Amino acid sequence: MAASRDEVIAIPAKASPLDVGRAASQGLTIDALVAQHYGFIWRVLRGLGLSSADAEDATQQVFMIAARKLDAIDPDRARSFVYGAALRVANNARRGLRRRREVLDDETLDEPEPEARGPEKMAELDQARRLLAQVLDRLDEKHRRMIVLAEIEQLEVPEIAALEEVPVGTAASRLRVAREKFRAALLALRDQNPFVDEP
Amino acid sequence: MTPDPLDQLSARLFEAARSEVIPHGAEQRALEAARREVSQETRAIARVSSSRKWLAAGACLALAAAAALLLRPKDSNLGISAEPSVVAHVRPGPKSAPSPAPLTTASATSNHAPPVAPSLAVTAKPSPGLVPVPVPPAAASLSDELSALKVASSALSAGDAKAALTALDRYDRVLKGQKLRAEATLLRIEALSRAGQTQAASSLAQRFVDQNPGSPLVDRARSFVVQ
Repeated sequence: MAASRDEVIAIPAKASPLDVGRAASQGLTIDALVAQHYGFIWRVLRGLGLSSADAEDATQQVFMIAARKLDAIDPDRARSFVYGAALRVANNARRGLRRRREVLDDETLDEPEPEARGPEKMAELDQARRLLAQVLDRLDEKHRRMIVLAEIEQLEVPEIAALEEVPVGTAASRLRVAREKFRAALLALRDQNPFVDEP
Repeated sequence: MTPDPLDQLSARLFEAARSEVIPHGAEQRALEAARREVSQETRAIARVSSSRKWLAAGACLALAAAAALLLRPKDSNLGISAEPSVVAHVRPGPKSAPSPAPLTTASATSNHAPPVAPSLAVTAKPSPGLVPVPVPPAAASLSDELSALKVASSALSAGDAKAALTALDRYDRVLKGQKLRAEATLLRIEALSRAGQTQAASSLAQRFVDQNPGSPLVDRARSFVVQ
């Protein structure tokens, strides 16, 4: 059985010059790859704990990796490829982040969004995202990924299984445990509920 | 049934995450960076491909030279004759007998020690009863051709295009090299280019491309064609 994402975050080997043009001949271009998966990768990286700016940098790295290996990417598994690359980039980014936190403790704080929403709503959303990040921080890595994929990206279990490279049954079981852990973590942090209308 | 407040809170947190706006221009910046990677990778692959072709050509040359040296007769320490007027001597036999194969300079000298250079063999007095039979000039061996091209290549590497062209002239006129003709032509194209004779290099490169469309060296030659 192929190794799951927990065992190895694999990036396919460098494309051979003999492979040149394979992806292009199959219609996969870097433009299409970015257009289809940029938002997904950026949100996954946010869900994995990177700040908005770090997620942007990391997402850019992911697509630069994809660009270098474009000829090795199976167009049918392009999302899986960029997801695997994102996990590796996120690991590296978080290692750097931990080092930087020794200097700046609140690294994940982001600039306010330039959105045309009211200041109260903006503050509420910002606090909600911080609370979510805190809850996710309490989960172990594989369960955190499950929550991000299932609840934020709203993927179905078979899609999650494919991305995580585990059997569907394993993914379903893991998601169930992840949800239980998420609830428990949220319960512990419930006093930080930012929504004023929450009972 | 009252919805679970924890579930409601979870849903709002997830919704907040989904509603987060990606920084303005981030996707475009990533796309441009990725495009740069693609173009760099394409150039790198082209360089690797070109280098591999040269390596393959070099390996072929080395193998061919090694084979030529191994297969060469042990006493064949003959230099390459500058003149193609090599003559062998054949003893005429009876008309009914099959004609003996013409003796080449190599085989003629191989039966006599010490071996002599072809020019000496040519000038040696024919034995009584032998009549001169013209034979084609001895072709330059692969190792001779290779040596000549090595001289040209070394000169080129040292930046001496004129010396390279001289070595290539020798390859053409003296050795009348054929086995490494394509490599010699490519070296000449490069030497002409280095010598500032861009138009001549371009014309020769274009001819090479036209005449050798399947050659592994054609891409290299094409790079000298001035549009």
